[in-house]
Amino acid sequence: MSVLDIAKGMGVTLGHLFKRPYTVSYPEQRVDIEPRFRGRHHLLRHPDTGLEKCIGCSLCAAACPAYAIYVEAAENDPDDPVSAGERYAKIYEINMLRCIFCGFCEEACPTGAVVLGHEFELADFRYQDFVYGKEDMLVGTTGSKWQRREAAAKGKEVRIGVEPAPRPELEGVDY
Amino acid sequence: MKVVVNDIELDLAPGTSAIDAVFAAGDDVPYFCSQEYMSPIGACRMCLARVGSPRKDRDGNWILDEETGEPKIFWFPNLMATCTTQVTEGMVIDTRSEAVKNAQNSMVEFTLINHPLDCPVCDKGGACELQDRAYEYGDGLSRFEFDKRRSEKHHELSELITLDRERCIHCKRCVRFFEEVPGDEVLDFIERGSHTYIGTVDAGLPSNFSGNITDICPVGALLDASSRFRGRNWEYDHTRTTSMDDATGSAVIVDARTGRIERVKAALNPDVNKTWIDDGTRFGHEYVDSPDRLTRPMVRRNGELQPVTWPEAAAYVAERLKGLSGKDVGIVLRADSTLEEGVAALALAEKLGTGQVDHAPRPAGSLLPSRPATLTDLATADAIFVVGDVTEEAGILDLRIKDALKGVTPPELLPHGVPIADLRLKERMPRRAEILTVAAPYRVDLMRHAGASHLYPAGGEAELFRALTALAGGGQLTDEQRAALGADEAAARQLVDRLRSASDGVLVVGGFALARREAAEAARAFARAVGVKELLVGPMANSHGLELLGVLPSHERYAFPGMLQEAKALIVSHLDPAKDPDVAASLKERELLVVHDMFLTETARLADVVLPARSVYEKDGTVVNLEGRFLPVRAAPVEAGQAEDFTGVVRYLGEALGERLEGRSVRSARRVLKRRLELDLAELPDNGVIPRLKARPAPKVTTREAPAAGGNVLIAPSMARVEYLHRNPHLNAAVGGPKLSVNPADAEGLGVMDGAEVRLRVGGVWRDAVVRVTEAVPAGLMTLPALPEQGVGLVQADLGSLVVDQVRLEVAS
Ligand code: SF4
Ligand code: SF4
Ligand code: SF4
Ligand code: FES
Repeated sequence: MSVLDIAKGMGVTLGHLFKRPYTVSYPEQRVDIEPRFRGRHHLLRHPDTGLEKCIGCSLCAAACPAYAIYVEAAENDPDDPVSAGERYAKIYEINMLRCIFCGFCEEACPTGAVVLGHEFELADFRYQDFVYGKEDMLVGTTGSKWQRREAAAKGKEVRIGVEPAPRPELEGVDY
Repeated sequence: MKVVVNDIELDLAPGTSAIDAVFAAGDDVPYFCSQEYMSPIGACRMCLARVGSPRKDRDGNWILDEETGEPKIFWFPNLMATCTTQVTEGMVIDTRSEAVKNAQNSMVEFTLINHPLDCPVCDKGGACELQDRAYEYGDGLSRFEFDKRRSEKHHELSELITLDRERCIHCKRCVRFFEEVPGDEVLDFIERGSHTYIGTVDAGLPSNFSGNITDICPVGALLDASSRFRGRNWEYDHTRTTSMDDATGSAVIVDARTGRIERVKAALNPDVNKTWIDDGTRFGHEYVDSPDRLTRPMVRRNGELQPVTWPEAAAYVAERLKGLSGKDVGIVLRADSTLEEGVAALALAEKLGTGQVDHAPRPAGSLLPSRPATLTDLATADAIFVVGDVTEEAGILDLRIKDALKGVTPPELLPHGVPIADLRLKERMPRRAEILTVAAPYRVDLMRHAGASHLYPAGGEAELFRALTALAGGGQLTDEQRAALGADEAAARQLVDRLRSASDGVLVVGGFALARREAAEAARAFARAVGVKELLVGPMANSHGLELLGVLPSHERYAFPGMLQEAKALIVSHLDPAKDPDVAASLKERELLVVHDMFLTETARLADVVLPARSVYEKDGTVVNLEGRFLPVRAAPVEAGQAEDFTGVVRYLGEALGERLEGRSVRSARRVLKRRLELDLAELPDNGVIPRLKARPAPKVTTREAPAAGGNVLIAPSMARVEYLHRNPHLNAAVGGPKLSVNPADAEGLGVMDGAEVRLRVGGVWRDAVVRVTEAVPAGLMTLPALPEQGVGLVQADLGSLVVDQVRLEVAS
């Protein structure tokens, strides 16, 4: 091994010493996330009409390998519809403890209603708090149940720890 | 007859259709319009195949192929619809060639031209014939880029059925069903070409069998409105069981999801209901999910019913029974309890040493015929005499009678089951109305299909049968007897002659005649006199079985409802005698009242102990239908809290009394039944068996004497169970509430209008009803649907008690 080789090696080390550190001081700082990262689900709305995209078809539940989704549909009131068409999801629940974030639900959905977003901070205390309902996933809701509880208690805005990358499927989701 | 299907040689009966030949060979062709038990019409053109047969020359010799020396196959120039092609000797059917595949592919494409493909929101999705066939035989690609036909997506054909006109593929199954099966032309095609749609000129679907079209529609055009959007087909738990709705024991599939019954569909039992059920059976289940169901036992403490555990409730009952002599206890079950529950009740009665055990409603006449007919006998009969309103009482009887009118025997089963295309059946077949005579005290639906009708005076069944027997004996009739016939004497003579000369005559005796012992005996005597078989229609699902088992009191005095006065302590299951205020007052004087029911009924409100009961959909057990067929009942997975059936009641009570009683569970009850009947009920096949029970002494039927004939209201059978009607919103809306049918002349006299909601005291019981003014009931008579506590028969109503709640004017349009 020559001196030159050692110098080369040290050079690499030296080079890294002056590079910008990769570490992010999470949670004070938000983390960058790849566009295709699969985190907490969002239920989307049609941006123009504001109607829910979900039609309560249960295909996501059928596709889910972890049996994490439960859907109960009902008929729209034609004068005050929840979704486009006749059918909407009256109950839409995902058990985040069961979910393996595979994204099969997203692929199965015929209307692009359920899309896996970028939030990943889903830790909570009680089992029942892991069951996310419509109100926890519809566009406009930011943060996990726990984050929203904390924010409400402190009277602050929810701050999530991701710096999301844009993804066209997440139509209308604003972190 | 030798037939070759894709190189497989088969031997088939002449008359078989080519489509059945293909299925018999274990092969498959797609089809939409053919349907078991209905005529094949070749409407959908989906079942195409290449068909050929050998020919004979003028001398009757097969024309031979010169090369092979075998009979030469002459192929039809075009592909043939296999459903309307009958097999011939040596026929060759090919369903695998390129030409057939192309045709199938094109037909799928053609059928889908105007189909909206909204499978994700369609309740048929996942169990749809079109979906399956498009997947199996279609190309998977669409070449049509123009707009599809737009049409009404939510058309309420009736309160029970929703029609989506975009999805309809014009297979005509629904149209044909009404004409061919119940025999009423209710639906039809309107317009032509791609504008064709299904419609009706009537308001709603005036048929008791309308729900069947949701089962047979091959797409999601016709759907059950009560289960609309309740779940997807793969999410349901399917339980194949026997309906407890009436005495026929129809095969049904109960679909439940997350502990709720969402819908009931017909299942196949070729010997009983084929694939049809009536609307009461299909839509009469919503009460099970009522929010006010009892889920915990309750015991009265300090005047209040308070929730307790089962052992606590049982201990309380045992404690209170101690002070009483066992024989002072009365036990009564409703007549749709299973055989196993009957065994449990008998075991408990034996343990206590009481003879006061009964089931209700129980007609005065016995339900065990001396020459029993089966439903197949009925469907193949050449003379039928019906006394009663069987369409309402046990709808399947109505349909099987209409089978007999067609004169087509039930098809032989093929290796794949019921023939898909029975070529003997045709649209608008001639019906042999002359073989059917119907007698009833008012105009019943079946009379429209009968050759002759008798409208006899209400309560005059015994006189009717005696007069007919006198005619059969060749005697002359007195004027009184003539009046009892309800038709002219010549017609009655014709009926008697027809029944006597028939080789397979059947007498169907409904509730009106069974309600009084003398009438039931007169009916039996008449059947013997003309030599016909009998079919006795019990009031509830297991009336036959419970009588067979002997869940009967030891003395007439102890029969229900007399028992309510006799016994000091009462255990009442699923019955609500306190609907009668006088009975309620006397129940208050009982020392102990235990009520086993699903809801907090009037009687339960008076009870010392209330035990939550399982519904008929939540029990395992056995029923015996009106033919004497033992049929299995299986529990659907329904959330019912701590509810138990009567075997459960007996298990807890037995434990509290310090004994493991027989009949403490379904298994233990079946051990008893195996000993007694030599029949292993755990092994019962889905379609049931009519066992040859060992000759045994006829059980001594002790019955309360029928109340003296006479009255102004006839309690009549009803397809929809009135006791649960207000908890069955869809069915209630469809039948228009519990109906008090009144003749126009009487309506005027009473000052009530059609649609008025009234309340009146009938035979002691306060009844709520909706007035229906109709010519069907004769002047001077009103009809009201039966309750379990108020069985079929004539009663006296106190017309002075009539209160008109609301008058809803029918706006004539
Ligand atoms: S991401 Fe996968 S596991 Fe999670 S709900 Fe969707 S399908 Fe189920
Ligand atoms: S999210 Fe999509 S797949 Fe799931 S029920 Fe709604 S529309 Fe159907
Ligand atoms: S409604 Fe259904 S059963 Fe009737 S013709 Fe259309 S597709 Fe056939
Ligand atoms: S043409 Fe429809 S099944 Fe044959």
